[in-house]
Amino acid sequence: MSTWRSRLCQCACLTYVRCASILVPAGSRGEWWKEWKSELWHVREARVPVRGFHWPAERELVEFSLGAFRDAWSVAMQAERRRAPTAGNEGSARRCVLALAVLTLICCGIGLAIPGVRMRVIPLTLPDSAGVMLIQPPQGLAGSQRTLPGRLYRSWKGRRQRLFSEFAFLERAQKTTLTLPASGGSQHAAQVRTAGVSVTFFRVLGWALRFRSPVGEASKGEPRVVLSDLLWRRVAGGDPEIAGRRIRIGGREMVVAGVAPAVTAVALPEDVDAWILTPDEALAGDGPGYVIGRALAAGTGDGWMMTAPRTDGSFADFSCTRIYRTPYQPWDIFLFALFLACVALPATTSLPLGEYRVSSVRLAWSTKVRRWAFLAAKIALLLPLVYMFSLDVAYGIPRMPPAAAGYVQLLTGLSACLLGLRWALGDQRGRCPVCLSRLTHPARVGQPSRSFLAWNGTELICVGGHGLLHVPELETSWFGEQRWLYLDPSWSVLFADAPSMSAGYF
Amino acid sequence: MTADAKLSHTAAMILQAVHAGCEYGFSLMERTGLPSGTVYPAMRRLERDGLIRSSWEQQAIADAEQRPPRKYYKLTRAGSAALEVSCKRYPLLAKMLPVEKQPA
Repeated sequence: MSTWRSRLCQCACLTYVRCASILVPAGSRGEWWKEWKSELWHVREARVPVRGFHWPAERELVEFSLGAFRDAWSVAMQAERRRAPTAGNEGSARRCVLALAVLTLICCGIGLAIPGVRMRVIPLTLPDSAGVMLIQPPQGLAGSQRTLPGRLYRSWKGRRQRLFSEFAFLERAQKTTLTLPASGGSQHAAQVRTAGVSVTFFRVLGWALRFRSPVGEASKGEPRVVLSDLLWRRVAGGDPEIAGRRIRIGGREMVVAGVAPAVTAVALPEDVDAWILTPDEALAGDGPGYVIGRALAAGTGDGWMMTAPRTDGSFADFSCTRIYRTPYQPWDIFLFALFLACVALPATTSLPLGEYRVSSVRLAWSTKVRRWAFLAAKIALLLPLVYMFSLDVAYGIPRMPPAAAGYVQLLTGLSACLLGLRWALGDQRGRCPVCLSRLTHPARVGQPSRSFLAWNGTELICVGGHGLLHVPELETSWFGEQRWLYLDPSWSVLFADAPSMSAGYF
Repeated sequence: MTADAKLSHTAAMILQAVHAGCEYGFSLMERTGLPSGTVYPAMRRLERDGLIRSSWEQQAIADAEQRPPRKYYKLTRAGSAALEVSCKRYPLLAKMLPVEKQPA
């Protein structure tokens, strides 16, 4: 009985020490483990009696083993401190990439948390969107609004169709107050834009309502309303049980029939938060609105003119425009901003990375690859960061008109791209091409009054002893760009870490 | 580390214990009464600073006694000098851990 307990304690002690050894750097782990194992054996020999189980002795042994963690931590810290100059050099590049990655993730997180941005990042594609046309009077004939009366919609709907399969009607939007009863008897009120639509509206557009419930379907006698995705998130907090709930819009009680999908590619003539499903009889008056039709032939182009009968029997021209448009997607805007930034970049900063072509030093290919990979990694992380940042700025503001948001995204993207690329090149120039550490100890060299006889500018040094960077104060014909001067091994006595750092780089 | 560098009381105590004849970690613990989590890291620091040096016992000796070999620690010249300075700073150190008399 006592033997297995003693063995169990022995195993536990060895396990503690073995676990602690994980903290020790691999190079010295073997010797560290050997010493602790040996010491543990000697402590057991000295403390634990040969026969029987002695709990105080075993406890002392366990306490001894636990000290291994402190020792291992101390060894690890010593190794870290020894490595500090090197880690400071190479680690700065890693930290730079890590910081960029974290910033990108933060921007992505912010973007995904904002509904307006999320809609642009993950756009909803509707397979049945071709052929949905907005029918309006020709431009300049019926005033600036270009609306049609509701009775015309009803008239067309009753006729035999050869061009369209179905029509829908959208009334002009009105500002009103929406009241949503909240839990605890309180009410949530918001100013919204509402518009009456025919019951065919969402079918013609090809939108499948979300959270449609039997309750919402069954309330035939009461007016029904469909909330926009933004309103649903803003007022109802994204409640999936919203369908069937009663809300008040402009004093009228209505039942929520569902939530419209977040579609960004549609160019509806009215910006609406809540669509009130209205029977055709109620839309048959002279109230202005918009007629939307689904063309029988889907590939009928983006826009065309048609001649159709009016309610009085006479014929008139109408323009038909595709309602789904995707000319200015955020990605296209970003690519355009990136193109502009690339064009403008040479005017704002010098492109060379400080390499002096006349140099006898040839770097190892792995060093060169590492350097270029670092620059590529910076730019690769920078682009999504800028993209998401521009989306956050442009679409994070609620109710910004789409056109204005596009311009904001373009301006933000261009500025951020330009600054980002400038920074990426400047940062690369300010690093040692060998160990990628930030160059330090700037020193002013030369006299400005002797610009034409000798160079003057700033000299920076790599703490690893790989070289000096000369940055001229004035651009001259013989010293136009900054130059990197590699230091030969004779300089290594000045740098504590030079021998270890240089190994394998050249 | 120079001899003028000031050692902590614990480090000085361990240095004195090594000087007094304790050659391995467990004997240092026994002599000073310090726990393993203090003694071993302190020894690493002292070795790093060149005040003590370590060496492994010959395997043959350990095999003959049927035990694992031990790692022994000895005072360096710099360690002796540092201990001398520390003994002036901590006068009771030498009394607490007197040097064992070598058998004649």
